[in-house]
Amino acid sequence: MEFKDYYKTLGVERDATQDDIKKAYRQLARKFHPDINKEADAEAKFKEIGEAYEALGTAEKRAAYDQLGKDWKAGQEFKPPPNWDAGFEYSGAPGGGDFSDFFSSIFGGARGERAGRSGRAHTAFHMRGEDHHAAIVIDLRDALDGATRTITLRIPDMDEGGHVLVRDKNLTVQIPKGVTEGQSIRLKGQGSPGMGEAPAGDLYLEIRFKPDPLYRVVGKDLYLDLPVTLWEAALGASVKMPTPSGAIMLKVPAGSAYGRELRIRGRGIPAAEPGDLYAVLKIVWPPATDEKARKIYEEMAKELAFDPRAGLGV
Amino acid sequence: MTDTTIGAIPAEPIGTDPVYSLEELSIVCNVETAWVVELVEQGIIEARGTTVSEWRFSSVSIVRLAKAKRFDRDLGLNPAGIALVFDLLGEIDRLKARLNVLKGARTSLADRSSDDRDQV
Repeated sequence: MEFKDYYKTLGVERDATQDDIKKAYRQLARKFHPDINKEADAEAKFKEIGEAYEALGTAEKRAAYDQLGKDWKAGQEFKPPPNWDAGFEYSGAPGGGDFSDFFSSIFGGARGERAGRSGRAHTAFHMRGEDHHAAIVIDLRDALDGATRTITLRIPDMDEGGHVLVRDKNLTVQIPKGVTEGQSIRLKGQGSPGMGEAPAGDLYLEIRFKPDPLYRVVGKDLYLDLPVTLWEAALGASVKMPTPSGAIMLKVPAGSAYGRELRIRGRGIPAAEPGDLYAVLKIVWPPATDEKARKIYEEMAKELAFDPRAGLGV
Repeated sequence: MTDTTIGAIPAEPIGTDPVYSLEELSIVCNVETAWVVELVEQGIIEARGTTVSEWRFSSVSIVRLAKAKRFDRDLGLNPAGIALVFDLLGEIDRLKARLNVLKGARTSLADRSSDDRDQV
């Protein structure tokens, strides 16, 4: 088991005051909260910060942790000294926390209740199993067609002896067609088991999309960069472009400017009211590297009275 | 640590039909009804119906409420703060999506001019 330097995790000195520790925790918690920070490692980081604060946030636990000594380095092989924790007492019933082995070896898996004001005072009559909430990252294609995906959830569970352990649970999920980024889907009965005859809770998965090489997603709408030539944009043209449901011919109106968005109705993410697909025109032109191209450009320069800088006042 | 694999489970998109009463929502989410009322007053979750006893909530409220609960528990935010975070996160998501659209157009311009800011 590796030693964890909780002071380092929170970025505070060993002699920091309880207020400093609280402040450091709050700042980091805001920064790495998985509901705010969408980076892949935010959740792991948030858990580390939470564990560090759990250990240092109360004077009693901090004293116990400090008793281990200052000479430990993060990552060092760690074995708690025998009877090291005699004389310390920390409140909080065992169970519930998804903390590291290191934490459990010191604090026995005990977790102080940090419930905010939202917590229900009496849960004794609450028989239905608890709902679980997690996020799932899928491809855009999965949302367009529907898909079956296997996800792994880390869930706290209890063994026969009543000890809390963290279990990996693999779930194969049928993702319905037409989900959008930020939307949640529900798996009935996949939350915590209920008490007695009561039903289990549900599992909610918030959908997040992996970036797609072709399409960018805004709600139910898709955006595709469509390269067109200078003359196609100027004269108008019918050009072939991909859509999620197959190639189409798109009519580019004459006199189209760079970045013009052309809407193809109903070709976005499918739904009762499906999203739209937008072709964003990117005007491209051949380089004037050969004689023929250069001649044409020179002719344009000579023949066309066009000053793109007329509005700059110089 | 054990490993459990179960067969494919159909997931349903959560509904927007107002089905839960205030009391039902509070029980499902394991929170006090007074706190749910505060969230409604802040516009964090949406209640249909005029009087509190007529209030009905959809499944979307369950997800938003769970998130609100995490902000309360993890960051110590009050309902007004939670409402602000929801609004700002929504705005960031919209801006990021929009930026993403514009970035694509920008990349093509980059072919000829983005980082080569020539000094003359």
